[in-house]
Amino acid sequence: MLPASLDEAVEALAATPGAVPVAGATDLMEAVNAGRLRPAALIGLGRITELRGWRYEDGGTAVLGAGLTHARMDRPDFAALIPALADAARTAGPPQVRNVGTLGGNVATAAPAGDTLPVLAALEATATLARAGSTREVPVSHLLTGLDPLRPGELLTWVRVPLLNAPQVFLKATGRSGPARATASVALVLDPARRAVRCAVGAVAPVPLRPLEAETWVAGCIDWDARGEDGATVIDPAAAAAFGEYVAGACVPEVLPDGTNEGLAQGAARVRRTVSVLARRALGRALK
Amino acid sequence: MSSPTDIASAAAAAQSALAQSAVDDDAQTPEPFGLGSSAPRNDALPKALGIYPYAADLWAEGLLWGAVLRAPHPHARIVSVDTSAALALPGVHAVITAADLPPGPEGAPDGAPHGPIVADRPILAAGLIRHHGEPVAAVAADHPDTARLAAASIVVEYEVLEPVTDPEQAFSAPPLHPDGNLFRHLPLRTGDPEAVGEIIVEGLYQVGRQDPAPIGAEAGLAVPRPDGGVELHLSSTDPHGDRDRTAACLGLEPDRVRLVVTGIPGATADREDLSFQVTLAMLALRTGRPVKMTLTREESFQTHTSRHPALLRYRHHADAEGRLVKVEAQILLDGGAYADVSSEALAAATAFSVGPYVCPNVFVDAWAVRTNNPPAGRMRGEGALQTCFAYESQLDQLAVRVGVEPLEIRRRNAMATGDPMPTGQAVTCPAPVAALLDAVSASPLPALPMDDPEGDWLLPGGPGGAGDPAAVRRGIGYAVGMVHMLGAEGEDEVSTATVRVSGDHATVICAAVDSGQGFATLARQIVQDVLGVTEVYVAPVDSDQSIAGPSARGRHTWVSGGAVERAALMVRHQLLQPIAANFGMSVELLSIADGKITSYDGVLGMPVGEALEGKELWATAQCRPHPTEPLDEAGQGDAFVSIAFCAMRAVVDVDIELGTVRVVDVTVAQDVGRALNPRQIEDRIEAGVAQGVGLALLEDLRTEGGRLVNPSLTGYRLPTALDTPEVRIAALLEERDVVATFGAKAVSAAPAVVAPAAVAAAVRAATGLPVGRLPILPEDAIAG
Repeated sequence: MLPASLDEAVEALAATPGAVPVAGATDLMEAVNAGRLRPAALIGLGRITELRGWRYEDGGTAVLGAGLTHARMDRPDFAALIPALADAARTAGPPQVRNVGTLGGNVATAAPAGDTLPVLAALEATATLARAGSTREVPVSHLLTGLDPLRPGELLTWVRVPLLNAPQVFLKATGRSGPARATASVALVLDPARRAVRCAVGAVAPVPLRPLEAETWVAGCIDWDARGEDGATVIDPAAAAAFGEYVAGACVPEVLPDGTNEGLAQGAARVRRTVSVLARRALGRALK
Repeated sequence: MSSPTDIASAAAAAQSALAQSAVDDDAQTPEPFGLGSSAPRNDALPKALGIYPYAADLWAEGLLWGAVLRAPHPHARIVSVDTSAALALPGVHAVITAADLPPGPEGAPDGAPHGPIVADRPILAAGLIRHHGEPVAAVAADHPDTARLAAASIVVEYEVLEPVTDPEQAFSAPPLHPDGNLFRHLPLRTGDPEAVGEIIVEGLYQVGRQDPAPIGAEAGLAVPRPDGGVELHLSSTDPHGDRDRTAACLGLEPDRVRLVVTGIPGATADREDLSFQVTLAMLALRTGRPVKMTLTREESFQTHTSRHPALLRYRHHADAEGRLVKVEAQILLDGGAYADVSSEALAAATAFSVGPYVCPNVFVDAWAVRTNNPPAGRMRGEGALQTCFAYESQLDQLAVRVGVEPLEIRRRNAMATGDPMPTGQAVTCPAPVAALLDAVSASPLPALPMDDPEGDWLLPGGPGGAGDPAAVRRGIGYAVGMVHMLGAEGEDEVSTATVRVSGDHATVICAAVDSGQGFATLARQIVQDVLGVTEVYVAPVDSDQSIAGPSARGRHTWVSGGAVERAALMVRHQLLQPIAANFGMSVELLSIADGKITSYDGVLGMPVGEALEGKELWATAQCRPHPTEPLDEAGQGDAFVSIAFCAMRAVVDVDIELGTVRVVDVTVAQDVGRALNPRQIEDRIEAGVAQGVGLALLEDLRTEGGRLVNPSLTGYRLPTALDTPEVRIAALLEERDVVATFGAKAVSAAPAVVAPAAVAAAVRAATGLPVGRLPILPEDAIAG
């Protein structure tokens, strides 16, 4: 099925239980080809052009179409708007994947290593879910954790992201130079209006994790009014390092080796270390 | 990747007396012609355009689709197999299990076992499952989905057994096979066991499981023949060996099986596994219809052989100046479930255990054992690669202890032509180890980021990654290594080729498969050189042609190239003899160039076509290098025909906080004997370096309790363009190997053997960590 408009799509979805909406298909077709998924029907969203762009709302919010591709999000105009999302889109995979893979697909697949997910979590983005005749608004994190999941017949149409006009960073560790799945990732955004730092850690758990206490603590360490030599907000380097440890400690539980779980304990220690370095570097870059 | 100026300047710097290759393409001649030219590959353009046909593209009228059921356990006993549900499915034409196979020798039920050296591997598992993914049954159906569904509906009851996955446990574990768990134990003893050096360095080294991961998974088409035989269209790299083994398993005479070689989608190891082609042939014979089968990526990882994981323990004794006094080593190769070529890999590992260095006292014990891990087999420099990593790591340690530069310790011990190897064999071929080291060290280093602010500095972690310049350390490492070419230990090496000339073109018929190594291009160049014809057609390969042997161990340049040259020379003689007789001069006074026959005095100038007068000239010739002998019980013997050497310098950037490594540059100096096609040599070196860098940093087919953990191209990390370094050729040293065809040495394996050791050395230099394990994972390179 190839609906030409959003209305047609939600009608088709309502009319065909078991149908799966498909956009870039980079995750979906891999599952189909591997025989893990046999959808009763596919609803192609490629012709719904309105979902492939974005619009502004109330001056402070960007409403992003679910069909926005990673390649589009990486372009300079978008990167100026939501830099962390552009960073995540840029590193999401090889060009072939970024050219077709979409924001909505990333959210709907909800893979633990989905690169845009920690950014959306840090931005406290919300998703618009449409069904025939109605829509509802759900925080992306509720959608991901299953607190408020996508219901049958619902289609993810828009993602609402606040425009913060402040530095944002997304960093991911992969262990290689070529495109790869994250072993850990950190999204960090500054919200100068609220004097807040928001951070999310991806790929270490099934969903992005928010180290709320570390966020509050580090926001208190930042001298929001002071400006350094090159006009940056200032933080003590020791505080940045402590923030890294704090984030890692909050997001990666320590596994104490008891003789039987040595591999697990070592693995956890490695991930903690990586998250700590990423969080420290992310804060450093945001405050540069 | 390397520009002519780079090479010219590097070559000047190398200032060796050895001839340098003219790597730059001669801009004056539009058409590269003959040996020494950078003739382009004929298949390059169609491959780049995606129109080159592979086995997976084949089609036959009324074909059926094959699918295989594989064991989900690494070690289990098959209690029962029930195929009734599969047979009942509409569209299913045949289901075969081990019970349907023709009886083996001495009437053994469940089919004849097979193997390249020792026949120990069943076509379809009968009693025991010995590795994860071992084929149990096969199905032919009218649709690929039906075939897979039918295969999945076969009910197999397993009694799951405890797998033996640690090669060190294989010695004491109950036998996994009637042949036992030890494929081969090879001791090597030479010199004085009591010798002790002033300096002793020890190390334990580990090499993971690298997979050839060919870009095209296994695929083939079997067509039954009216005479009861079968024709197989496959990307085989050993058409005659595969034909003979297939025929034996099918219970047919070899001439009833014809193997037609299709395009090869990547081969750095043996290309087809026999079980695949025998089951395919069985299904075609059973149904009387063509059957096609293409494996999934996961199956491909399960079925083809990988590189031997290795555990190496070394102790080097040296005097105060760092000259080697004694080397003691224990080498353990995990051969996986079946023997394959493990004994051959072990011979290389043992013989090259000291590397291209001179040492009077060597004591090595090497074992290849059977486990329930995936079978290991042939793969560029098998055996030689694992030991190269170990002995080069030892030399780095020794350099630190002696207090000299890594290059200096290598120079002090370097082997030269005529020096003995620990096996007692004198290296009679050129061994320009010192010259290779000089060439790489004289080559300019890549610029540091601060010296090259304009340059685009790609940090470890890649563009847009998490790399931080403040945490990046640069390291430089050197390695030199050796690898043999052609079959070893008495294997009969022979190849046959036919050359035909008619009109203005020549044809080469030779069953040497161009697996990507460029043999078809070389054959064209040879005939151009000898006969002066521009148009040379290289016939597609099938098993009805004469035997040329497998495409492996860099043997085709030598044996098949030699056969082509001899056949071409015979044709040349036939062509010139009557003309020479006519003019009352000897054949030697005539030459062929630009399609014309000319005499030394210029009186005669006759187009080749005219000399042929509508005739066709044919000649067939063979090439068989000098024989070798097996290694004896002390590891002694002239086991190798010839040896190729390569030196490398790797430059890496390491993010010492995250442990990510990027190889910035690899500079190579290689002993090529004679550069027959400089551009192809560069291609082969780049390919070898890419594969070596992959093994050093990324590639590891992991198992957990014998089960494959990452049998996919997402999980198995192949190097991408961003992971692959700039490869620069410092020198192609051309010291002719007098016994080799054209004096040339094989070029593909040596760079793959040396690159992992060079990268490890560079990471060691950057981090100060010991680096005893390949691949080097981020956690092994964190030094911050």
